[in-house]
Amino acid sequence: MLSDLVFRARSLFRQKAVETELDDELRFHFEQQLEKYINSGLTKREALRRVRIDFGGLDQLKEECREARGVHMMENLLQDIRYGLRMLRKSPGFTVVALLTLALGIGANTAIFSVVYGVLLRPLPYQNPAGLMVLQETTPKVGTVGVSYPNFQDWRAQSHMFSKLAAVESVAFNLAGVDPAGADQPENISGAVVSSDFLSMLGVRPVLGRNFDSAQDQAGSASVVLLSYQLWQSHFAGAPNVLGRTVALNGRAFTIIGVLPQDFRWIEKTDVLEPIGLRANDPEFNERGDRGDVVVLGRLAPGVSFAQARAEMKGIAARLEKAYPFSNDQFGVALQPIRDVFVSDLRPSVLVLFGAAVFVLLIACANVANLFLMRGAGRTKEIALRIAVGASRSRIIHQILVESFVLAFLGGLLSLALAFAGIRGLARLLPVDMLSGANVNLSGPVLLFTGAVVVLCTFIFGLAPASQSTRPDVQSELKESGRAMSSSAGQGRMRGALAIAEVSLALILLVGAGLMMKSLYRLLSVDPGFRPDRVLTMNMSLRTAQYAKDPAILNFWQRVLDQVHQLPGVEAAALGTVVPLTGNHSRNDITLEGMALPKPGSFPHPDVHLVSPGYARTLGVPLQRGREFTDADTENAPPVAMINAALARQFFARQDPVGKRFMFGHPSTERAPKWITIVGVAGDTKLYGLANPARLEVYLPFRQGASSEMTLIVKSGIEPAALTSAIRYAIASIDKDQPISDVATMHQLVSNSVSTRRITLILLGVFGALALVLGAIGVYGVLAYSVAQRTHEIGIRMALGARGGDVLRMILAQGARIAGAGVVIGILASFGLTRLMTNLLFSVSPADPATFAAVAIVLVLVALLASYIPARRTLRVDPMIALRHE
Amino acid sequence: MPTRHLDLPQGTLDLLILRTLALGPQHGWGISERVQQISSDVLRIQQGSLYPALHRLERKGWIKPRWGTSENNRRAKFYELTKSGRRQLEVEEDAWKKLTAAVAQVLGTA
Repeated sequence: MLSDLVFRARSLFRQKAVETELDDELRFHFEQQLEKYINSGLTKREALRRVRIDFGGLDQLKEECREARGVHMMENLLQDIRYGLRMLRKSPGFTVVALLTLALGIGANTAIFSVVYGVLLRPLPYQNPAGLMVLQETTPKVGTVGVSYPNFQDWRAQSHMFSKLAAVESVAFNLAGVDPAGADQPENISGAVVSSDFLSMLGVRPVLGRNFDSAQDQAGSASVVLLSYQLWQSHFAGAPNVLGRTVALNGRAFTIIGVLPQDFRWIEKTDVLEPIGLRANDPEFNERGDRGDVVVLGRLAPGVSFAQARAEMKGIAARLEKAYPFSNDQFGVALQPIRDVFVSDLRPSVLVLFGAAVFVLLIACANVANLFLMRGAGRTKEIALRIAVGASRSRIIHQILVESFVLAFLGGLLSLALAFAGIRGLARLLPVDMLSGANVNLSGPVLLFTGAVVVLCTFIFGLAPASQSTRPDVQSELKESGRAMSSSAGQGRMRGALAIAEVSLALILLVGAGLMMKSLYRLLSVDPGFRPDRVLTMNMSLRTAQYAKDPAILNFWQRVLDQVHQLPGVEAAALGTVVPLTGNHSRNDITLEGMALPKPGSFPHPDVHLVSPGYARTLGVPLQRGREFTDADTENAPPVAMINAALARQFFARQDPVGKRFMFGHPSTERAPKWITIVGVAGDTKLYGLANPARLEVYLPFRQGASSEMTLIVKSGIEPAALTSAIRYAIASIDKDQPISDVATMHQLVSNSVSTRRITLILLGVFGALALVLGAIGVYGVLAYSVAQRTHEIGIRMALGARGGDVLRMILAQGARIAGAGVVIGILASFGLTRLMTNLLFSVSPADPATFAAVAIVLVLVALLASYIPARRTLRVDPMIALRHE
Repeated sequence: MPTRHLDLPQGTLDLLILRTLALGPQHGWGISERVQQISSDVLRIQQGSLYPALHRLERKGWIKPRWGTSENNRRAKFYELTKSGRRQLEVEEDAWKKLTAAVAQVLGTA
């Protein structure tokens, strides 16, 4: 097949050479034969005559040879392409509209497919990624949580279904000391602390230097670090002599032993890797009940299925639960293929958008098919004539398809420009961390997809006109008068059907966009439990040695508060550890004084905030009972706490919680309980996103907990972002090496927390609007054509006494029939399709009647408007002219 | 002329060309000469059908051309059998033998 094509192509493109060869070959034969005849005793003349008789018509022979070589098919193709281009040039209006329509449709698909490919399909840069699993612990109280390091060690010892297991802890570092002169700004970078076989499990090799070795899994490991390629480029200018140099992470010197490859990706942003041995002595790493930010990477042993591995881990978790009831009660193990962890909750959005883009393409194709049909109607005569003089029907279908292909191909080329712009726009719309490092661009596979779409389009909008065009009865077509007569009923029906399809597809898209809009509106109307207006937040982590002791930490935070309070424009300022929607969290079991003791896994498990006085006031969290913390609630004062309304409701239903006491952890006979007195009740806040229900919360005064990582929140009288540099300056005056990260207004945090939904809505809205416009053009086109075709008929009607209004109503009724049928079909289809986006909706039913009704009304109105423009044209019909038009 | 020429039955031309080339590479004139000789002048291939057939066989990949020098030192286009051509020859020979045997059988019993 392929070799045949190559052969034909050679015949075509090396036409001249091939022709010469053919000439040479035949001349050789001619002369040999001549020589033979002369040798057999004939005269030269007689011999020549005989040879000529033998050969017959030389040109005919050559033509037969060419045909045998298959040159003709290629020649026909070229001829058709040239013909197609000529036809497109001849009707520039048609060409421009069709090209733009197609470019929009194909471009939207290319842009969205680049996301589909980048996020869902592109192979992860690992060796055999299908066998890689991410393991986390689960508890009914929270869902999935980090893995405790002792549990990980037991998993590794007991599991046989995994050939290897590695622990990976996400951490952040203060980076400094890159510049030997010490003039560089301190900054907050992210990294991971990993088991030594982490990289070899992924099949990743450092591009420079070496990997960790197993000695670095043990306590007392050397302080070594691997840099990401990006950090190596940005901070060391890609210098090859970086190995052996040191960087200061959290004020400690680390020796660089290698650089990761450029395409290295991990679930979280990763600037550096450290060996896990460095953490082996930390108390929280040896406490089985302590679950931080560790996930476990596992590689399935050869031949082991997901289900087998899950069953085994379930058994191991059950054994650990029995052996360590205090730390492991009700804890299970969750396994996820690594691809799912990367994709996280993007899959439904991406697929819904891809579906929407396909709908836009279908509408575009229907529009172009309609344009072709209308133009085709004007060409029936030409085609009938060609059939009459001997063109085969297949040859004509072939030609129309080639013409369609030329159009689709040009549209495809144009669409690439649109897709390129679209992808850049998308990149600006998407939060950086949303794609977990997925590359979204016009790569080879995406271009291949675009090519496939072009071919598909050719058939979608080319086949209908092609089949229609060859149907005409040659005789009657040729007999008809010279004017292009009203096209056949079949063509009219097909154009109507296409317009109906466009309306129903547009309705489906608009319903989807409408449901998303309502969801987002409902979501943003949810009371977050705080007032985000004019509030600025920023993170600080005290990680260097000077902050090893609590007094140093408290001193730093106190000075921050004092300095920031004095800044002009600051209305209130406070510190907190678990500021809503920042992604920070810290949870702990508590025991309420006098409560009936539950199983170890069923103790109340609130989120624990450390906050400075004025926190609730700064963030606008309502105080429901009791008091907020004051400057008197210091480390030397009696321990106090606030709780949130949910905790009060659940455990102090009919009593006043103020004055009651609780303690952290579970009661134990070994140590005396440290009771904390409740002094106030605050309103619930949405810590984990607006769509999630309120959780139990406990607030402690920051001086009674001393956290090294806190978020500064500042309520200002002016635009809060304007305070950023003043605050930075104030903090630098306390400690010039202290980095500040994640500066954001509270409104930005709220907005980021709904970004997936918002982007989905924006794109669905764009597609919906596109569909509406294309659908309106479709309806308009059909009616405008119909009016033009019926001028004669309208003239007769008016001559017979019909008034302008009657005719207008007649055309509008035709438009209304199309819109009505489209809306009914669209609504039925939407009922089935919107269920697929249930995951994306928030407190809106996928069959929300209000949305359906609103969209249906909008579509009918737009369709009527689109019909009104051509309908009005009938008012200007002069019956005399219309009748004379014959 | 004492010899009586026979028109070639449909489809036998390909078989004759392939069979001839099985003996070694040959140019178009050589093929027609060889067929004529071997068939004791009974079979004659017309140029009008020989060359289109050669080009068709080349397109199918059963024979491939190579420019070489003829016995009298002239540039000529030689054809040789390809691997798939050799297979095709076997298929066609087999089919031909079956056909002629069957036809002979029918004639014999009639």
